[in-house]
Amino acid sequence: MTGHERHLSPFKDITKKIITLVVFTITLAFTVNYFSPRGIPAFGEWDTSIGVISPEKNVDHGLEINYVVSAKKIFDSGKAVFVDARMSELYKEGHIKGAVSIPLTIFYDIIDDFISKYPTSTLIITYCSGRECQDSHELAQLLIDEGYEKVKVFIDGYPEWKKEGYPVE
Amino acid sequence: MNNIFDKMLNNSWVELILRCSLGILFIYSSTHKIINPAGFAKIIYGYYLFPHYFINIIAIVLPFMELVTGICLVLGVFPKPAAAIINGMLTLFIIILTINLIRGIEFDCGCLSFNTSGDFTHAGWVIARNFLLLLSGLYIMFFKKRRLFCLYRNS
Repeated sequence: MTGHERHLSPFKDITKKIITLVVFTITLAFTVNYFSPRGIPAFGEWDTSIGVISPEKNVDHGLEINYVVSAKKIFDSGKAVFVDARMSELYKEGHIKGAVSIPLTIFYDIIDDFISKYPTSTLIITYCSGRECQDSHELAQLLIDEGYEKVKVFIDGYPEWKKEGYPVE
Repeated sequence: MNNIFDKMLNNSWVELILRCSLGILFIYSSTHKIINPAGFAKIIYGYYLFPHYFINIIAIVLPFMELVTGICLVLGVFPKPAAAIINGMLTLFIIILTINLIRGIEFDCGCLSFNTSGDFTHAGWVIARNFLLLLSGLYIMFFKKRRLFCLYRNS
């Protein structure tokens, strides 16, 4: 301890140490985050009016269908297969009419069966529970990785679809 | 009776037990957040209280604040300032949880683990728990006797 520190009032002393701890912690946090493979950027995408939210800015907004009406038009055309990314329990409670269930957790268990039924040229529309849910995007990416060429994400998902009174089962 | 109460309030062993317990709890609560900052950022978003610009920054810094202050308490390095920071965090947690309790929003507090089942702990219980922790933190912060097993007691 230096002579200068010895003369600090208790309040000034504790404040100085709090600041030291805070500065050290912030430096440590950002350093670890920078080098960590699971680190995240300092700013994420949290505005649902832009699209699906994400802490990592890894959402491909180019895949997104932003309006329920647009999704309904595709549904009415009968040219697309809707794929539900939510858990099986939620799918069983209710889903877009004719949608196929592929929960993310069991994707690799059922994807071969799915590919055998729907060729990779099929237009696929993935969805989950809305703009705060990233599963539809993750599912879309997995399907693209499996060779599907036409994949879109219906970002408002089942809740908005149901709210509009569109076909469910 | 007063004498026993007084001894309890100024007992170095009580301080040591509270300091280590609170420290270990904060270290434990930081680990799942440090391992999964993206998941923690989503939890913070789920509170619907923070400006979007701060969500990731909170998710990056807060877990390390819990870790560092927790280690400080256990090792006895800057115990008083570390307890002051922990008390500040606990006060903020109580305020935030109370706001959401009043708003009636059902959410995952993300305090000690991330909930994946959708069965959320009631905010009232979490607030009560944080009050108890805050009492421990205040005891450590205002403890005036000699602290036991401190690497750097001079604080």
